Amino acid sequence: MSSSPVQLIPLMIVAAMFALFVLGGMGSKMRQASDYGFAGNYSGRLGSGAAIASNWMSAASILGLAGLFYLKGYYAMAFVIGWTGGYILLLVLLATQIRRFGKFTAPDFVGFRYESGTARTLAALISIMISVIYCIAQVRGVALLVSWLFGIGYQAAVVTGGALVVTFVVISGTLGVVRNQRLQYFVLIVAFVLPLMFLTKKLGYFWVLPQFGYGQAIIDLQTQFGFYWSEPFATISIYHWLALCFTLMFGTAGLPHVLSRFYMAPSIRDARWGVVWGLFFISLIYWSAPAYGVLARLYDAKAGLAYKTPDPATADLVTLTAALQGGIPVWVVGLLVAGGLAAAFYAISGLLQNGAAAFAYDIYPRLMRPSATDSDKLTMAKGFFLVLAAAVLALSLKPVGMIAETAAVAFALAGNTIFPAFLMGIWWSRTNAAGVVAGMLMGVLISFSAPLLGGLLPVVATLFPLTSSAFLGAPLVVVVMIVVSLLTRPPSDEIVGFLARNVHDVKDR
Amino acid sequence: MDHKGIDQGINIFRPQSGLLRGEVQVIVMIMAAWLVAVVGSQVAIWYLETALIEYWLSEIIFFNLPIHFWLSGQFLPLWFILLGVVFNLWMDRHESRKFEGTIRYRATGRSKKEQQP
Repeated sequence: MSSSPVQLIPLMIVAAMFALFVLGGMGSKMRQASDYGFAGNYSGRLGSGAAIASNWMSAASILGLAGLFYLKGYYAMAFVIGWTGGYILLLVLLATQIRRFGKFTAPDFVGFRYESGTARTLAALISIMISVIYCIAQVRGVALLVSWLFGIGYQAAVVTGGALVVTFVVISGTLGVVRNQRLQYFVLIVAFVLPLMFLTKKLGYFWVLPQFGYGQAIIDLQTQFGFYWSEPFATISIYHWLALCFTLMFGTAGLPHVLSRFYMAPSIRDARWGVVWGLFFISLIYWSAPAYGVLARLYDAKAGLAYKTPDPATADLVTLTAALQGGIPVWVVGLLVAGGLAAAFYAISGLLQNGAAAFAYDIYPRLMRPSATDSDKLTMAKGFFLVLAAAVLALSLKPVGMIAETAAVAFALAGNTIFPAFLMGIWWSRTNAAGVVAGMLMGVLISFSAPLLGGLLPVVATLFPLTSSAFLGAPLVVVVMIVVSLLTRPPSDEIVGFLARNVHDVKDR
Repeated sequence: MDHKGIDQGINIFRPQSGLLRGEVQVIVMIMAAWLVAVVGSQVAIWYLETALIEYWLSEIIFFNLPIHFWLSGQFLPLWFILLGVVFNLWMDRHESRKFEGTIRYRATGRSKKEQQP
């Protein structure tokens, strides 16, 4: 791939799509929370849903999932269910209450609810760790696409892609561009589904709804080429599959940049209905993503490679390779690449801004400079954004794994720490600062127990796999929070009263 | 331990207010439907995989897809959306009832139960 020429037409389409987003964002007015890096323009339930979906879409959704389907077949369904089912947890347990809390970031929530600077700082550090890990997955997606677009090697593409993201954020900031997330969502979904319609139509399948049409490719693979994916639980035990699925659900309900969406919903009802619309919009992506993996397998089979062992290093790019093998018009391929790049760009910039905000607003004024003014914090946020970007790029130079699986590690960390902190903070008023600090520390330990202790104690690696540790980890953290809270002083009457009156709207006492 | 704080406390397993109890009941029902669908579908697929010989599971086609692809990839996300709609409709009604109760109490000083003959 490194010797291929620059892809001029796709490159022009990429430039055009980003220009559209910049122009679309320049007309928007910033609603609130700009200093926290979550500014966005939206209104109503549909708009909230599009904002949630646009905020969610990333290289893991556009590229990573199809790569996993191509490589591992049914195993990847754990991601589809995990990344959609997690929104039910969010909706029924957290969305309304987070909206009523009225805090803008996860550390802000933890600090206020648990009345503890230590808990707030810990939540901020964990948010930064989650952002960095998730960003590494996104940078891989950017690098693979930039490598194809410019015909350069992987490491050069990491640096080029990183430079482009930082430049884009700086230009957007200078011009006062606000994310027009409705526009973004509808452009991205078209960019993702339209190539699929072209591909299925060319194959003579049911192209109007390619989400069902691709099933014929599975049947053709079986009947014409004798190719069967391995049975669902032939290569992974049902325990490990469910562990991965539930970890992704808990992580979805614990990712700081996902939770932040609910603070800014126009009303409580909009916050709830926005989740359902968001889930529908996200499902449109996940109903479609398996098709790319399946079609890539079909094209391999047609090229006489039905039984080739796929290369994990290139599997993340099957969305693109399927489009290229399918021989669809180059402008449609360009649209697909532009969609993938835009999703990854915005995910990276959002996550880095999230991490930078956690440092500048929650760590810097508490641990480093108590007298910091708002202006100092803003300057620090900008500086730390660049530091984080450099760290992520340095860590991304050597590929660490597939996009979706790297992202799953971030989900596991969020599921083991932030999710229990929010769940208990909202639904059990007796949880206190000592409980949440002990629980979150335990959560961090559990998240990395497989690489840290797995060699010494193999059972640890079996029970808490790196990508799936929250299945048992999150309940264990909840138990730690309960036990430590009961053994220590209860939270103040003020916060218990706030929780009852303001968050749960319990007045008749 | 301050008893005032505990009396006002929120505990999802022991909701004290009637309105909160109703909310928790619907949460439990939605969560049960969510859990049974996710775990039940996979156990069913696992059972079919072990019960059927060779690759027969892949040959049971539903909506143009092998049954396990359809169940996990198409049906479950749709099921989650339906659960979300049911929860939101219930919550909207629940909040309207709560609002009406507050207005009635402010206007008459009596709850709906107290007004009934």
